[in-house]
Amino acid sequence: MSESGLLSTGTKTLTKREILRFLRRPWNTFLPPFITNVLYFSVFGVILGARIQEIRGVPYIQFILPGLVVLGAIGNAFENASFSIFHGRWNEYIHEPLTSPLSYRSMVFSYVASSALRGIIIGVLIAVIGAVFTPVHSLAHPVYAVVFLLVIATLFAGLGVVGGLVAEDFDHLTVLNQFILRPLVFFGGVFYSLDALSGAALTASYLNPMVYMVNGVRYGVLGVSDIPVNEALGVLVGLTAVVLAVDVALFKRGYGLTD
Amino acid sequence: MARVPPVLIRAVASIRTRMPPAIRVEGLEKDYGDVQALDGLDLTVPEGSFFGLLGPNGAGKTTFINVLVGLVRKTGGRAEVFGNDVEADYQGARDAIGLAPQEFNVDRFFPIEEVLHHKAGYHGVPEAEAEERAVEALKRVGIYDKRDVRFDWLSGGMKRRFMLARALVTDPDLLILDEPTAGVDVELRHDLWEVITDLNDEGTTILLTTHYIEEAERLCDEVAIIDSGRKVTVATPDELTEKGSDTLTVYCERDVGDAPAFDDERVESVTVEGDALRVRATSASEVVPSVLRQLEAAGHTPLDIDIERTSLEEVFVDLTRREEGADDGATSRSSDGAGSGNGDADADGDGDGDERVAAEASR
Repeated sequence: MSESGLLSTGTKTLTKREILRFLRRPWNTFLPPFITNVLYFSVFGVILGARIQEIRGVPYIQFILPGLVVLGAIGNAFENASFSIFHGRWNEYIHEPLTSPLSYRSMVFSYVASSALRGIIIGVLIAVIGAVFTPVHSLAHPVYAVVFLLVIATLFAGLGVVGGLVAEDFDHLTVLNQFILRPLVFFGGVFYSLDALSGAALTASYLNPMVYMVNGVRYGVLGVSDIPVNEALGVLVGLTAVVLAVDVALFKRGYGLTD
Repeated sequence: MARVPPVLIRAVASIRTRMPPAIRVEGLEKDYGDVQALDGLDLTVPEGSFFGLLGPNGAGKTTFINVLVGLVRKTGGRAEVFGNDVEADYQGARDAIGLAPQEFNVDRFFPIEEVLHHKAGYHGVPEAEAEERAVEALKRVGIYDKRDVRFDWLSGGMKRRFMLARALVTDPDLLILDEPTAGVDVELRHDLWEVITDLNDEGTTILLTTHYIEEAERLCDEVAIIDSGRKVTVATPDELTEKGSDTLTVYCERDVGDAPAFDDERVESVTVEGDALRVRATSASEVVPSVLRQLEAAGHTPLDIDIERTSLEEVFVDLTRREEGADDGATSRSSDGAGSGNGDADADGDGDGDERVAAEASR
């Protein structure tokens, strides 16, 4: 009865299971980013933003909107994949798909696709919240906005798979999220333009992959960017391909999954 | 005309159609650093058989099963399920297997009926059919009315039933049951026996590991005893019991006095308690005429005889003890030894705890 391929019944079932897992807990999935972003837009956008001058001709509250979309999308994509895999390992129910005739590629596809979808849903939710606080009449480059969001959600879902396989306890997941992801995002130009930096800080920023993600989405939404977007997109697509290949290799090797 | 056992019919059919055996492992090895969990295990489980796997805690039973389903990576040897190599053709191997493990490893996020839909779906069963199979499996194990409940809310016995339902929902050709009746009451045990016996009659190959010797004796066509990751023996329960020693007690008219020496190589030992003469022999019923003849020749009058057959449990303990004695210490398995024969050895449900500890230590 087993089939191969990414459109097989097995792959669709695991993907559906992963999507249902977060959809059936809306208070866990949607409420925290909703509250957090209402606070971000209120404090940084409305209260402080009114005192900050326009950046690249864009009001501050609109300038931070794409960055907050990226922040929410990648955080949720990463967290979903890492939590789902780690929780499955911790309670051993990941054995259900593992002992089934699903290919390793299929399993990775399901975890990544469902987690990327969660990231994109949260990204869109944040954009809608932003639109309540500040008028965004139309997307400057909608294709770039969609493609960048899709690529970065997939990239971080793929990184979440690695995190879920590598983590040995729940604290490790917190460490990955709070001490690695969050600083990279905050120094990734969410709240400022690279024009505000110089010297070593500017050089270091160019080494931060978040800069390219934030600016890519910002270009898609507002039409402004600190970096050349096509090169950034190419690098991110390449990086995503590498991370997904690593995911499949780890599953194949049984890293964190088998004895 | 004598009835031919179904297993024999299936075995002959299998040979005729050149079907590979359900399980074939050769020189299977698994080590966790210094701990050798499987040490060159060779085993063949014929298609359609009801095969028992016995061994003390830490013998390697669960490790062996986990190699077949891909939860443990072997470090040497070959393992095939219906001719599919467990690594090179892992999808084919895993598709054929339904596993009810000893440890509860069930998805806690969904009601149990949905867990079954998912499990069937992973095996490529279309949604509508998966729903039908889930209903059928839950009814078969008697927990259909609990279908909307999550696993954590089931009682211990229901959890065991669900483990079997999950293994059945994929309609496996090979059903692997790792201590399926550990810690369950007698009624449930008999219910589960009935279900798996029916499945075997329908053609499903069953691999059963158990600490309950009675279970193996009652259900299995063949039994393999493994210890320290190696096969000790494979035989039918009857053949195994014949390997043990029976006790023949002859009650005489008056005290027997000194134990007489019997000229029969099947006799292992003779003891006397008043008018009762106890003879340990490999096959007591066969030595009865010889013993009675020699007693009468010595002037005694036998009045009654009693034969106590050796049990599979005694043979099991004897064989695994012999292995321990022969073991030169090359393996560092931590064994509580005892376990095995008393049926309560795994009452706490920790099963192959030694193996798990070894696995944890290696991670």
